[in-house]
Amino acid sequence: MSLISLLYLIFILVYIAIGAAIVFHMLRYKINRRVAAIMCLIYLGGGILLLISSISLFFSVNWYQIISNLRF
Amino acid sequence: MYEEINFPGQREGETIILFLRRHWFIFFMRLLLIIVSVIGLITIYYLFIFLNSNFQESEYYNLLLFGESLATLFIWNFFFILWLDYYLDAWIVTNERIINIEQRGFFVRNISELKLTKIQDVTSEIIGVIPTLLDYGNIYVQTAAEKERFTFYQIPRPNRVKNAIVQLQEKEEKEEERELGKIIRGNG
Repeated sequence: MSLISLLYLIFILVYIAIGAAIVFHMLRYKINRRVAAIMCLIYLGGGILLLISSISLFFSVNWYQIISNLRF
Repeated sequence: MYEEINFPGQREGETIILFLRRHWFIFFMRLLLIIVSVIGLITIYYLFIFLNSNFQESEYYNLLLFGESLATLFIWNFFFILWLDYYLDAWIVTNERIINIEQRGFFVRNISELKLTKIQDVTSEIIGVIPTLLDYGNIYVQTAAEKERFTFYQIPRPNRVKNAIVQLQEKEEKEEERELGKIIRGNG
């Protein structure tokens, strides 16, 4: 189970790193300020919501039961 | 019309005549993969529900939702990477020059500019059924500068843009000749 947690943590860190790069590019290279601000807000809002739901779903899964079923 | 637009190296008094991006259809075609993925995720969800009526009570239901949430996170990022790739590529025609801003992935950005007086030839090209129907194509600008060819890719109304560039170039050339004439007469 700790291996699954570690893999999930790596996935989340990669997601956050890519997200940071996206936000950086939106804010650094904006051509139209208004569009860049709106898209940045949409990305951050949606991204944070998706991340929270993913984390809560991770903890809602009964990993022990699933792995035990796989072993048998 | 282009007051909200700002680009690197913009000079005071420089007027933006045209601001161009790739045609919306190009972005839409790239989005198709995302649309198919989202439809796929929804299909998988309802397939499991359909195949097993008690699926929602099993321990695998949350696992399925978790898997789909991971896929959604990936799709969310992928959509914005595609959007950035589309949005940060631009061609700007001002009263003085043409600027090409090209974003190639993360942290790789090319900006090149071409003075209107360096333009030797402008060619527009529309190839294919869909580009013809939607009126988008390429423009090739032959130059006397270090970079010999400036290309506008998949832009809307390329013929109109080509005509605008030619008119601007002729106007700029006449202006330069007038300035040169003033200098010569002044020295004479």
